[in-house]
Amino acid sequence: MSLLKLDNLETYLEQYHILQGVSMSVEEGSITVLFGRNGAGKTTTLRSIMGFNPSTTGTVHFHNQNISKLSTHLISRKGIGYVPENQGIFSGLTVEETLNLAKAKSAGETEAKMEWMLQLFPDLKKFWRKKSGLLSGGQKQMLAIARAYINGDGLLLIDEPSKGLSPIMVEKLMESLLKMKEKTTILLVEQNFLMASQIGDYFYIMDDGKIVHEGLMEDLKEDKETCQKYLGIA
Amino acid sequence: MEVFINLLVNGVSTGLLIFLLAAGLTLIFGLMSVLNFAHGGLFVWGAFSGAWIFTETNSFLLAIAGAILIGMGLGWVMERFLIRPVYGNHVRQLLITLGGMLILSESIKIFWGPNPIRVNMPGWLEGSYQFDGIIIIKYRVFVIVIGLLLYLALWLLLRHTQIGLMIRAGVMDKEMVQALGINVKGLFTFVFLLGAALAALGGALLAPYSGVVFAEMGMQYAILAFIVVIIGGMGSLQGSALASLIVGVAGAFAAYFMPDLSLALNMLLLVIVLLVKPTGLLGEKGSAV
Amino acid sequence: MRGLFHKVPMYWGLAIVLFMLLFPFVNDSRSTLILLTQIFIFAIFAMSFDILLGYTGIVSFGHCMFFGIGAYSTAIIFNQLEANLLTFMIGLVIGIALSVLVSYIIGLLSLRLKSHFYAMLTLAVSQLFLVLAEKWRGVTHGGDGFTFSVPDLFKDRTSFYYITLLSVAVVFILLKLFTESSTGKVLKAISQNEHRAEALGYKTLHYKLIASVTAGVAASFSGALYAVSLRFINTNVFSIEVTLDALLMTMIGGLGTLAGAIAGAGIIEFLRHYLSELAMAYPIFERWTIILGFLYIVVLLGFPSGLAGFIKKLTLKKKRKVKKKEELKKIA
Ligand SMILES: Nc1ncnc2c1ncn2[C@@H]1O[C@H](COP(=O)(O)OP(=O)(O)OP(=O)(O)O)[C@@H](O)[C@H]1O
Ligand SMILES: [Mg+2]
Repeated sequence: MSLLKLDNLETYLEQYHILQGVSMSVEEGSITVLFGRNGAGKTTTLRSIMGFNPSTTGTVHFHNQNISKLSTHLISRKGIGYVPENQGIFSGLTVEETLNLAKAKSAGETEAKMEWMLQLFPDLKKFWRKKSGLLSGGQKQMLAIARAYINGDGLLLIDEPSKGLSPIMVEKLMESLLKMKEKTTILLVEQNFLMASQIGDYFYIMDDGKIVHEGLMEDLKEDKETCQKYLGIA
Repeated sequence: MEVFINLLVNGVSTGLLIFLLAAGLTLIFGLMSVLNFAHGGLFVWGAFSGAWIFTETNSFLLAIAGAILIGMGLGWVMERFLIRPVYGNHVRQLLITLGGMLILSESIKIFWGPNPIRVNMPGWLEGSYQFDGIIIIKYRVFVIVIGLLLYLALWLLLRHTQIGLMIRAGVMDKEMVQALGINVKGLFTFVFLLGAALAALGGALLAPYSGVVFAEMGMQYAILAFIVVIIGGMGSLQGSALASLIVGVAGAFAAYFMPDLSLALNMLLLVIVLLVKPTGLLGEKGSAV
Repeated sequence: MRGLFHKVPMYWGLAIVLFMLLFPFVNDSRSTLILLTQIFIFAIFAMSFDILLGYTGIVSFGHCMFFGIGAYSTAIIFNQLEANLLTFMIGLVIGIALSVLVSYIIGLLSLRLKSHFYAMLTLAVSQLFLVLAEKWRGVTHGGDGFTFSVPDLFKDRTSFYYITLLSVAVVFILLKLFTESSTGKVLKAISQNEHRAEALGYKTLHYKLIASVTAGVAASFSGALYAVSLRFINTNVFSIEVTLDALLMTMIGGLGTLAGAIAGAGIIEFLRHYLSELAMAYPIFERWTIILGFLYIVVLLGFPSGLAGFIKKLTLKKKRKVKKKEELKKIA
């Protein structure tokens, strides 16, 4: 059963027709990866799901419930955690305050989730009282993921988490995401094919606001032609 | 020496009154990017309704409570019917809040007539203290105490409560706050009502202090509060507090030594800040406190 | 020039001007002439504000300062020198020069600020002028103001009526040419999207400066005429109500049309006249300003493009209907 289902989403930003009928579904317990070149509309897809840029036509179903007309805070309360493209860190809040804020309107067992996140990302515990703005790029990414996980319940939307991270950090991030997969479904937007292909179960490729390809990640790895055409890798 | 201390006390108490007005302005601006030109209208309504209730009931506490309630009522109407409909459109927001200001100060004249009205000092706050020959007016000390207590209360609210945390986060990144399931509109209404209450309270406290209230007072104090908010840094409560004290004290000294130049002095301060540090003294974007 | 006559519904304009030219022959009631003169003066003021708000998207809450500068310059000169036309010219030139200077300095310092800061700053500066006028008693006589005498040409209501009518027409044509010049096009681009205009390589600050100096000059001119029309001046010319008048007139008439500003001035001045007459019979109308305030808010919320926008919409609808009918005929 699919946890999240987009049906023919069309979204305009100002007068531009950005999403031109996007349909996809995310299976419960999976990591689904959304690929696509710069400007393809990946971020816009996530923002439409979150209700920041509501679609003009089409629907978003979460747990078989239509959430496309809800406002953002209500969508979030349904259990969707969101990690935006540039992490959206509250630079003036400490790590502690940030995670407490994530708990404020969260469903599920927030204490247990919090504990697990601190276990997974010990740095957050270490810099508990530090202003988030002063954290390193990797630490900020961890904080953003922990915040989304604690706030969400069942689904995480993560926008290009590997952006700007060193290879070691990317490696660590992959491990963490794989561990988190045990407890939550993940829709991951990525450009880093090497990374995403290792942890993803299912993929979609987007181009010019449309889904142009989808399938099992294993098949994509074999499909040199598609890889080259849309992802620019040989 | 006596003059110096008196001017300091005057300046600090006036500064704290301006702060009550500026606190709401800066928080509303920080959270919603709305510069509310009608804020001074709430202030003057606080002043008139406080004065009126005091003359009717002879209870200063009732007067203050009534003024706050009236201010919040007007604030609610304003937020709901003026600001929300044009939310996100800066130009129309500016235009409409100025219209709100016009209506608020004109309606004062409908209820209380076009002429200034006199306000009495509550008996228990009349008189003065004497220290070593220095005379300090009781009511000013009262204003200072109330102002400092309110600053402390606001600080605690923002620092140590959940809603304060939400407000601070909202000032930094509104979208992300929504993505955490928090209703930003509700937050805004809350902050707006808080700001309205503070403005009305400021007006009610000012009335006995200046002894006479008039409709144009709202605009005059609002301009001071705007100057304060910009000098302090938009969205920064501490900045507003600091700038209020600077403007209040500088104004008091200027009024004594060169009375004709006091408004010009504030403008000069403003221009210097805008040229040297356009974000204001403490206005690094990202901190509301 | 051709663009001008092409775009303005010229016949209407000419008809109205003709009507206004003949009006004093038809109706020489003193109060109507005074009212119309007042409307012409405020039409110039409203048009000057339209250059800022309507054409460039600059929100100034201190536009009264230029009105006041023009008014005081003329009044003070008339008070000091002999009441003849040369004196008027001197006053006018001084007022305009001061306005250029003030608008240039303010613009240079603050036009790069975000709109709310600019609005606030201009409001504060205009209040500074108010305080200045109140405190500089030796010259301005403070809040009480002073009366002064003007040349006979201005004293005569009919001739002054024609002078102001001519002024409106000239200012309208000049401003229209200005808005249709290449500079005007850039201003329009700035009002739609300042960043884009900047990205296209225009120095937006430079253009905004031109707009605010132009607006300042026109406002100063209207202020001078205003002072002459009253033969009296006090600090009210620097009051926030004057700025609000400009806002009301342009908003109600429709932003960015100039003609809308003229219509707005007509509506507001007429309403004001009528309401203050009502106030004599029914004291409740003494606070007619509040009625204008509500009107302003209703227009802002309900008809953001004002009267002009409303008319445009109507004519568009008509045109579409006509088109549809034609199409239907073709099909048939
Ligand atoms: N606010 C906006 N207004 C108009 N167009 C926009 C806006 N934001 C983004 N776009 C356009 O929408 C398209 C899709 O943008 P989007 O951010 O969704 O792409 P993306 O796939 O996330 O790209 P990237 O990999 O670079 O992050 C782009 O062409 C972009 O230029
Ligand atoms: Mg993106």
